[in-house]
Amino acid sequence: MNTPTFNTIAQILEQDFRLARGHIAPERTLVELGLDSLSLMEFVFAVEDAFRLRIPEDRLDPRAAGLTLAHLCDVIDGMTGTVLPATGAIARAAHA
Amino acid sequence: MHDRAAGQHGGPLKGREPTAGIARRRGRPAGRFAPPVPAPLAHAAHAAHAAHAARVAVAGLGFVTPLGRTLGPFDDALFAGRSAVVERTLAIGRLDAMRMAVAPCAFDSHDARGCQNLPLDRGTAMAVAAAQDAWAGSGLDAGTIDAERLGIYWGSGMAGAATLDATLQGLYGEDRRMRPTTVLTTMPNAAVAELALRFGARGAALGFACACASSAVAIGEAMRAIRGGWIDVAIVGGHDAMLVPGMLAGWHSMRVTAPPPPDAPGTACRPFSADRAGFALGEGAVALVIESEAHARARGAACAAMLSGYATNCDSVHMTHPDAGGQARAMRAALKDAGLGAADIGYVNAHGTATVAGDAAEVASIHEVFGSVVPVSSTKAVHGHVLGGGGALELVVALRALARGLLPPTAHLRTPDPAFDARPVDFVRGEARPAPALRHVLSSSFAFGGTNAVLIASRAD
Repeated sequence: MNTPTFNTIAQILEQDFRLARGHIAPERTLVELGLDSLSLMEFVFAVEDAFRLRIPEDRLDPRAAGLTLAHLCDVIDGMTGTVLPATGAIARAAHA
Repeated sequence: MHDRAAGQHGGPLKGREPTAGIARRRGRPAGRFAPPVPAPLAHAAHAAHAAHAARVAVAGLGFVTPLGRTLGPFDDALFAGRSAVVERTLAIGRLDAMRMAVAPCAFDSHDARGCQNLPLDRGTAMAVAAAQDAWAGSGLDAGTIDAERLGIYWGSGMAGAATLDATLQGLYGEDRRMRPTTVLTTMPNAAVAELALRFGARGAALGFACACASSAVAIGEAMRAIRGGWIDVAIVGGHDAMLVPGMLAGWHSMRVTAPPPPDAPGTACRPFSADRAGFALGEGAVALVIESEAHARARGAACAAMLSGYATNCDSVHMTHPDAGGQARAMRAALKDAGLGAADIGYVNAHGTATVAGDAAEVASIHEVFGSVVPVSSTKAVHGHVLGGGGALELVVALRALARGLLPPTAHLRTPDPAFDARPVDFVRGEARPAPALRHVLSSSFAFGGTNAVLIASRAD
């Protein structure tokens, strides 16, 4: 997967969560990426800020085990129509 | 693990025997608590007396301060009286601009993360850096010491201030959500918890919040825990990092911070001076690794300095106005705790905030305890007031004096306040003063809220 959405998410994981790029793959679950419950919440906040959206909990519960990055991309694309985040959105998210 | 520890160390009062030995060598009067006390109480009092006499070794130092992060630059500035204070103008909305004197640290805390990837407040990031340096200097190995007997005792006046200021600014000013980690990043024991995680400490991990005495109290309480035999080793110290708009404005409004002279902002803080006008807010973190003397000896550690005395009390007079009587009682209690007399102390690092009321009370209390003979300086003139971290920083200053046999001057003190003439003390000013025979030093911290904390350190030999 090499979509803009996935790449943005991967960038957040790399920058904010210090994950190695090689470890970040669409089929990986958030738990497999080593995010604990608190980190999951922080990650979802960062993603929401980057894409300027709010994901309803009934569409995505970050605490649910087994949630993959690919599924997260689908949810985001479904809400945004694959809109690229605005310039600087990631940087802002990192300091939010 | 617990059983093994008890078997190895002989229970929680393991420090009793070597402690008693030290008390005898130092000629403390025997049976001081004895005659009128019933036998069981006398036994308890004797145990307490013995524990109080124990010295605690200083195994490592680490710091992030306005004077630098390593001993070389720190000593250079300290003993030369070279100020790290600079001017900062605070502009908030339509409020009048506020000119302030501050002592910042050259420390990058941008996007700092903890060992479990939590974001760290600037102060916590400083605390981690300081503790890592102190730990490295101690030569201790986290893999071989008993983690259940390793404690964290840490002080901060307003931990998490930078994060709270930034996130509240975002919340109210820009409608940005609080981060899910905000509570964990700003809680008073955030640094305590981070240090415990990082060093695998499973003994007591305690935060102390008593304003400007926070880190001095943290160090003293760790001394007591080591003397009492509850832990062998502790990472101690404190921090504050509140050079952020909301906090600066709060301090500015109290009228206790010094306005920076336009032509020489570095001289804003002039302790004990006739023209003193308050302090410069500083930031930083200072850590020490301390351990029981027996533990240090057992591992063959060469520790040049010992913590020998501690006392804390409360004025219980006024929220901010200092009380010379309370300060004097604290200094005398620390001397008694160390088994020393006033004449044994060769240097006092004063709290010396350069406020009109604070310095007057402190000169009175120093004179009451020491007369006019003990050399005194306040080094806040150069490193600023690091608040909750100040007690630890100024203990390190006293330890450097001890190590170098050299007394740092009170910078910017040209003319002591004539009001002190009736009860004069010996101010070290101008150049650093050689003191090759220096053996015992005392550092005072007197806080808002009335808490006084006094630490005494001594040469190990």
